[in-house]
Amino acid sequence: MGRINDVGGMQGFPSIAREDDEPAFHADWEAHVFAINRALLARGLYNLDEFRDAIERMSPQDYLAASYYERWLHGVTTLLVEKGVLAAGDLVDVAHDHG
Amino acid sequence: MSDHHDSPDATISARVRTIESRLEQLGLLDPRELDQAMAAFLSHASVGNGARVVARAWVDEGFRKRLLEDANAALPELGLSMSGGIRDQRLKVVPNTDSEHNVIVCTLCSCYPVALLGPSPTWYKSESYRSRVVREPRAVLHDFGYDVDPRMHITVWDANAETRYMVLPQRPADSAGLGEDELAQLVSRDGMIGVAPV
Amino acid sequence: MQPGISWMSRTTMADELRPGDVVETPRTDPPHHTRVPRYARGATGTVVDFEGEHPLPDNRARGIATAPESVYTVRFAGDQLFDGTDHDIVLSMWRSYLTKKADDE
Repeated sequence: MGRINDVGGMQGFPSIAREDDEPAFHADWEAHVFAINRALLARGLYNLDEFRDAIERMSPQDYLAASYYERWLHGVTTLLVEKGVLAAGDLVDVAHDHG
Repeated sequence: MSDHHDSPDATISARVRTIESRLEQLGLLDPRELDQAMAAFLSHASVGNGARVVARAWVDEGFRKRLLEDANAALPELGLSMSGGIRDQRLKVVPNTDSEHNVIVCTLCSCYPVALLGPSPTWYKSESYRSRVVREPRAVLHDFGYDVDPRMHITVWDANAETRYMVLPQRPADSAGLGEDELAQLVSRDGMIGVAPV
Repeated sequence: MQPGISWMSRTTMADELRPGDVVETPRTDPPHHTRVPRYARGATGTVVDFEGEHPLPDNRARGIATAPESVYTVRFAGDQLFDGTDHDIVLSMWRSYLTKKADDE
């Protein structure tokens, strides 16, 4: 697919960076996103394929700029809004600019 | 938690808290459920599991055979399984040999045998790794400090479906006489991904 | 894992694939979620294993009800996919993704 996640064979990415003994989560919020997604999947609010699809629909710029769990957060929030569970207004608590 | 209120992390953190409390209000999330999910993930899924599988395969030819034929059926012999994830996954263990080296990737997202290796490292999920290892695995392995013999054939396993792959590294030549626990200590996560020899 | 009939009994069913079958992946890009990576489009590979039955993710992602179908492990020679490579790449392929090449091709 011509989607940004489909990077197999794509050239020009930076050299692979490694972090020794990295933790599973680099911030608390990452662990929360992980657990929220698990819970919503278990509840059947959406399925894994819908979740991947929601991430893949990020714009290329947003996808590449986002960290792994930022992508998960995007996927979760996209689906929550699309499924009518949350309104877009529910998501904005503090002002932020994400380009 | 950051104390710089306009830092990106603090912003995201606040956003996640907002969503979480809204979902709790709606009865879609139970805070205890979240704690349980996190604890289960971190405690059950660990690289020690994969290392035990490898060590057992090194000392027990029958187990090795069963593992290569039907890994899901063999795991319970060690009290292990691939469950605990979102869906039960099929495990395929791919053995390194004198002529064949294996390396795993998920080019489309981040599929990884978490139950046996623990949470995946950021580099495994990076575009840099995912893009490059299918095109030039030898160069990637070289960057990891592992120069695969030019006569060895390489297979790259791209986990794009329900199967999760794990490499069975070759037993080091100088490991004779070591017990199973000591052998497990020799096995690294990187070896079970295929970016290191063991 | 998948209970019930073994692969060998499945491969007598019409439309099922067998180890050694030569197959081709789709050439065209769909506008929706799929699990065929672009680097493996329009490529020829060999079926090496059967992975079980799962519903097509292309449909599951769009809320289209879909029955499980066979998923196969397919091995590709690297030089089918990238110039001048000497490694192989193995991917999983849902039956719907694959066209079986005729025996005399």
